[in-house]
Amino acid sequence: MLIGGACKRDGSQPAAPPASPKPSAQAVASGHAAPGLKTFTAEEFAVVSAACERLIPRDHDPGALDADVPVYIDRMLLTPEMQHVRRDFLAGTAQLDRRTRQMFGKGFREISDPERDQVLVALKNSPPKSIEAKYFELLMVLALEGFLGDPSYGGNRDRVGWALVGFGTSEPPPQYDGVRQLHAHGAR
Amino acid sequence: MALPPADVCIVGSGAGGAPMALQLGRAGLKVVVLEKGAHYQKEEFVHDEILNSRRNFFMPLPWDEPHLIRNGASGKYERSNAAWTANCVGGGTVHMSGYFYRLKPVDFRLRSTLGAVPNANLADWPISYQELAPFYDQAEEELGVSGRVVAHPFAEPRSKPYPLPPLQEHPISQEVDRACRKLGLHPLPTARGIISQAYRDRAACSYCALCGSYGCEIGAKSGTNSTLIPAALQTGNVEIRPRCMARSVEVDRQGRAKSVVYLDAQGIEQEQPAKVIVVSCTAVESARLLLNSTSSRFPRGLANDNGLVGRNLVFSSFGESRATFRIAKRKDTWPWLDDPAPFVQRSLQDYYLMPDDRHGFRKGGTLGFMWTHPNPIFAAIRIAGSGKDGIFGTELKDRLRAYRDSKILQFEIYGEFLPTAGTYLSVDGTTKDKYGIPVAAITVERHPTDLAMTKFLVERGEEVLAAMQPDKLERVGIAGETTILQHGTCRFGNDPATSVLDKDCRAHAVSNLYVVDGSFMPTSGGVPTTLTIVANSFRVANRFLAKLKRDG
Repeated sequence: MLIGGACKRDGSQPAAPPASPKPSAQAVASGHAAPGLKTFTAEEFAVVSAACERLIPRDHDPGALDADVPVYIDRMLLTPEMQHVRRDFLAGTAQLDRRTRQMFGKGFREISDPERDQVLVALKNSPPKSIEAKYFELLMVLALEGFLGDPSYGGNRDRVGWALVGFGTSEPPPQYDGVRQLHAHGAR
Repeated sequence: MALPPADVCIVGSGAGGAPMALQLGRAGLKVVVLEKGAHYQKEEFVHDEILNSRRNFFMPLPWDEPHLIRNGASGKYERSNAAWTANCVGGGTVHMSGYFYRLKPVDFRLRSTLGAVPNANLADWPISYQELAPFYDQAEEELGVSGRVVAHPFAEPRSKPYPLPPLQEHPISQEVDRACRKLGLHPLPTARGIISQAYRDRAACSYCALCGSYGCEIGAKSGTNSTLIPAALQTGNVEIRPRCMARSVEVDRQGRAKSVVYLDAQGIEQEQPAKVIVVSCTAVESARLLLNSTSSRFPRGLANDNGLVGRNLVFSSFGESRATFRIAKRKDTWPWLDDPAPFVQRSLQDYYLMPDDRHGFRKGGTLGFMWTHPNPIFAAIRIAGSGKDGIFGTELKDRLRAYRDSKILQFEIYGEFLPTAGTYLSVDGTTKDKYGIPVAAITVERHPTDLAMTKFLVERGEEVLAAMQPDKLERVGIAGETTILQHGTCRFGNDPATSVLDKDCRAHAVSNLYVVDGSFMPTSGGVPTTLTIVANSFRVANRFLAKLKRDG
């Protein structure tokens, strides 16, 4: 679904996650986002935030929350070309909470960090192409996009992600808005 | 209702379409160029990895416009964005890295050189290197190529130096040279389609970090969008229509091409009549367009009497390994290691053609050395891995910090990709793109010789990297294909029974139809082929105009 290195194929590499067979215009449910949010309810936002912080935790360097990664994901899932990813992501977030209740009898927000890691490992190690494995991969990809993407998308606040990996280049002009570019392009 | 007729309608504005547009416009012909993507201006090329490399700014998304790809005829098709190049004015030359090699004389004579290779459908080209050489000169001149000619056992003959001196190099290039020479190899500076000095009103390269897979925001990259297309528009005879998706080439009762039917930027169907039609949408998309252009004269697709349109698809054989050098550890020995200079610019062609087949192959290719792509999201996703081997949390952050302290040198292989009966393109009527047009379906069945070759080349490349004593040496792949380099689906030849195009890239079966992207190439060669496609298009334009003059 997400582009990168697509020009190379190699039999020894795992294939990119296949796209769902049919994008659906109805996939975009609207009107449920919490105030200030574009995609998530307050509950979903809290769960996604907790999960992202376990993927990229704060230590002596900033983590996912310091970089506003969940804000990035909330905004990104509303861009036109992500419409059918959005459905998968919301379903996956619900599954994350269900799996947590099976394992610990509580929601993802109510368990400890080590318990959260156990849930995430379970998702990560699920059979390839299962809903849970695909959700973990999607969450990781979006978290890294939010951590290391252009700050105009809402993540990588104060360029903390770029500082961590030592990335520096001339940036887009100050008024640049990546989300607006994607919308302009996706609406063609 | 049809639009006013043009002399020539060209579908595609990349490496193949642009030289034709320019030369025919210069000759005074009225040319309409249809381009499915947008006409980006320099200012729209920004250093935004998400926009450029991870969404559909350049490449379509697999759910909008998939390519179906499967391994072997018994494999299952998967939707993919592989085998697309950038969809915009300039095509793949906009986001290319600009490794501008020429083919070598042997590439034009592979069947004669190798003899009959079992299960490989080899053919000599109907032209020689010498016939193409003047047009390589012209292509290098018009586009602007920076490089340095050095003597070399496999050097192809050339009549003049590169138009521009080489780009600046990172100090690591000297270490690559040292390692190669220690192994008895002959490292070559890689010529680039990037200008090292101001050239024809264009600014010189500023050595930003993000080049390949990005558009150049100052126009220093020699894509047709910065060079041939503006020159073509300046003739006053060429009109370019962006966001116009060709659906079919229509024929008249005599079976001559008469028009291109396309969907315009508003999605409205239009018909552009022209005396001559030139198709140049990449080897995959051109074959798709011809196969989708059925008529009572051509029920199997335009110019496809012999069933060869889409057959003999060849990509470029791919392999890659990476060497990691930790900056902190080499502070004293290599204090220059963290120099941000982006270009390594070294190639090895010592294994271009082997004297015998003791290693399981004879025709090899090129190893190109470069820094790994600096896109941070791309790098981090690779580091995070997936499935049981995937990591997250502190382990991931530690690895990201180690990455910050690293410079990663890689080589890529551009190897011969032998044509096989099992690697071809067809059109699947059941899967359509967002325009409602049946998509290209690609079947890949590699020749075992290719895999012996890439394995051998990867091993030799790894010896070079190992000689530099890296902190880590990692094999990325030995059995892949680079699908942005694509050829062969309308191979040219002298015999209408075994080829689609004649030696001037005109369809045997349709006297006013030309195909000028990589489709004409019966064999892939052992280098990236962008420069060759440009040069050939200049050659075809030259032949076309000579014929026009002859015929009155």
